[in-house]
Amino acid sequence: MAKKKKVKKTYKNGFNLLETYPIEFSKEVETVKYDGTVKTFDFPFPDKKIDHVIVNLCPTEPWALPNSAVINNDVQGFLDFLDKLDKVRTGHFPESHCYVVISAQETELIKESKQHDGHGDWLHVHTLDPIYPNDAPVLISKKTLGLDVAYGQSTAEIGVVILEPQTVVGIFEHYIQKNEISTRLIPISGTGLRENKILRVKPGTSIQRILDGNVREDIECRVFVDGPLNGSEVKDLTQKIDWSTRNIVVLEEKDYKIPFNYARVDELLFTTSLMGELRRCIYCNYCDDICPVGLEPALYWHCYIRGEKQKARLYALEKCIECGLCSFICPSKLELLQVIKECKSLK
Amino acid sequence: MKNIIKKIEPILNKTLNKAESFIQSRPRVNFLFGALFEACDGLIRSSKDTANAQPFIRNQMDAKQYMGGVLVALLFGWVVPAIYFFGFMCVVPKIIVSLVVGVFIVDVLWVILAREERINEGGFVTCLFIPAFLPPQAPLWLIGVGAGVSILFRNILGGVGNNLVNPALFGRLILTICFPAIVVTGWQEPFTGMPTFQSLKSGIDAVTHATPLIAFKETGEVTSYISLLIGANAGSLGETCRIAIILTGIWLCIKRIANWRIPVAYLGSVFIFAALFSLILGEAVAPPMFQLLSGGLIFGAFFMATDPITTTYSQSGKWIFSIGCGLLTVVLRNFTSIPEGVMYAILFMNLVGVPIQSIVLKIKYRT
Repeated sequence: MAKKKKVKKTYKNGFNLLETYPIEFSKEVETVKYDGTVKTFDFPFPDKKIDHVIVNLCPTEPWALPNSAVINNDVQGFLDFLDKLDKVRTGHFPESHCYVVISAQETELIKESKQHDGHGDWLHVHTLDPIYPNDAPVLISKKTLGLDVAYGQSTAEIGVVILEPQTVVGIFEHYIQKNEISTRLIPISGTGLRENKILRVKPGTSIQRILDGNVREDIECRVFVDGPLNGSEVKDLTQKIDWSTRNIVVLEEKDYKIPFNYARVDELLFTTSLMGELRRCIYCNYCDDICPVGLEPALYWHCYIRGEKQKARLYALEKCIECGLCSFICPSKLELLQVIKECKSLK
Repeated sequence: MKNIIKKIEPILNKTLNKAESFIQSRPRVNFLFGALFEACDGLIRSSKDTANAQPFIRNQMDAKQYMGGVLVALLFGWVVPAIYFFGFMCVVPKIIVSLVVGVFIVDVLWVILAREERINEGGFVTCLFIPAFLPPQAPLWLIGVGAGVSILFRNILGGVGNNLVNPALFGRLILTICFPAIVVTGWQEPFTGMPTFQSLKSGIDAVTHATPLIAFKETGEVTSYISLLIGANAGSLGETCRIAIILTGIWLCIKRIANWRIPVAYLGSVFIFAALFSLILGEAVAPPMFQLLSGGLIFGAFFMATDPITTTYSQSGKWIFSIGCGLLTVVLRNFTSIPEGVMYAILFMNLVGVPIQSIVLKIKYRT
C-alpha cells in the first residue's frame, strides 16, 4: 500500500489538492475524554431498494480521514474489510452490488484486490484519480456506475448508497455484531495546529474540547468543519460534533499585510488569506478549465454584475455541484461560489 | 540576500504601517493620496483580505502574477533582442518615457482624480507594448503621446477588466490617424554580428530601409526566411526577433497566461488563407511562409490577440475570433494599400468579439 504513483498536478476538470497541501497525520490515534451523554451510532437506512453500494476508499481531500486509520495497512486488513462489507451487504442491502473505489495511486492495492475480484459477482473494483472533487456523490456515481444524479438529490432515490469505510465498519459492528459503538475517528489538521492528528471522539463532544491543547496559542486561527473548501466555518466552538462530522481543519488567519509576498508563497498557502486582491473578471478561463462538470462559472458572474441574476439559470446552472474550485482558482479572487448560490436560490 | 531582506522587512513594514495610519486618519490627505498609497503599497505587500465565504482557502495565483508573467515574457520577447539589434540608447529611453507618461503621470492622475482604488499593473503591460510596435527612429514624444492616449482610453472604459479593445493597439491606431507620416517611416537596418560596446550602446548608424512587407509591395522581393526569423531585418522595434517572441509566447501558453488556442488558430489561419489566395491568384499574393514571418504578425498573435479581456470568454469563441483575425490580416495585407494589417484585424475582431460571444452562448446553451 505504501508505494504511490505520482499524479501530475492538474488544472483540468479538478484539482490535485493532495499534492498542493500535503498533510501527514501522526500514526497514533488519540482518544478524547468525554463523560457527557453520547448519541449512539445510527445509520439512516433508505426505504427504497438499493441496487448499488459504492464504498469510497479514495479520499481526494488531504484533510480527510486516511484509509489506513480504518483498514489495516496490509492485504489481510483489506480482505477483512471486504468480509465485513460482504456481511453488511447481505444483512442490509440484499441483492446489491458493491463497488469499491480505490485511488489510482495505490497500485499494489489495486493489483491485490484484482486477484480477489472473484469474491463472487457482487464485488467490483474501480479506480479513480485522487483529484478533487472526484469523490463528490454526483461525480463518483457518474464515474463508477454511469448514473446521473442531480446535485442535492439523494442518491438513494436511484438505488445507490455511498459509504465511507468508517461507516461500513460502524454498520458492521453496531447492527451485525451488536457491539455498542460510541466513538468516531475525526482527523484534525491545518496550519493552526501543533500537530496533525487523528482523534477518537465520542459524538456529542464539543469542538472546543477536541481542539483543547492542540491549537497554537501564538497565532489567530479559524476553525472549519468538513474541510475548508466546501465545509462551513465554526464560530461557536461549543458546537458539538455528530456522526456526520468528517473532519476538522484549523487554519491560520493572516489578516495583516506581508511584505514581499511573491517570494513567500509557502507561508500564505494554507491560510485563510485571499492571496491577492479583488479585481474584475479578466476572462482568464481558469474557472471553466477547472470546473469538474464543464460549466463556465464566469458567465454567472457576468450576469450577476450586470444585474441579470435570472439570466444565470440559462447557462446550465443546475449542473453545478458547488465544489468551490472556481472561487479557489480565480486570480481575480471573485466570490464565484457565492454568486452561484445566490443565483440558484432565485426561483 | 535572505538576511538583508530579513533585516529590512520589519523596518519597511513599520514605516508603511505608520504611513497608512497617518493617511487614513486625515480625510483630506486620504482623499488626495489614499488611493495612490494603496496602489504603491499593493506592489510591495500582500493584501490583508481573508476569505469570508466558501471556499476558505485560495490558490496563490493572482492578477498581479498574471500580469507579471506577461511583463517577463515581454522583457525577454522584445526588450532584450531589441537592445542587441538597435542598441541600448534606442530602446531604454523609449520604455522609460512610455512608463513615465503612461503609468506615473496619466494613471496616477487618474487615480487621484477619479478615486480609483488601485493603480493596476495592466498599465505596465500596455506601456511596454507602445514602443514595440513603433519604428526604431520614432521620436520620444510620439511614444509619450501613444502611452498617454492608451492609458487614458483604458481608464475611461473602466480600467482593467472592462476594456473593449486592446488599449495599446488603440493608442497605436490614434497615432496612425494623427501622425501617419511618422508612424510608417524611420525603419532602421538592425545590427548583426558579434556585439561590441558601441553596438550595444547605440546600434549602428541609422540607415533607413524599407520593411520586408513594404519592400514586397513595391518590388515583389521576398526576404530570406532565416533572417526574418532571427530578426536581421528592418521593422518595428519589438517585432523583428521572431524566434524570441515565439519562445516566450510558448512559455506564456505553458504557464496558462496566454490561451494556446489563439496563436495556433491565428497563425494557422493566416498560413491557410495565404496559401489559398496564392494558389488562386498566383504571384500577386505574398507566399504563406513570408506572410507568417513578416511584419508584426507573430508579435500580435502571441501578445496582442491573446490579451484575455478583449477576446471572447468562451473557448470556442476564441477559435472563431482568431480565425477571423487571420482572414482579415491576409485580406488587409494583400488587397488593400495598407502594408501591415495585424493592428486593424485585431482591433476589428476585438469589437466583433462581443457578438461572437453571445452567438456562441446561444448555440451552446440553446437559449
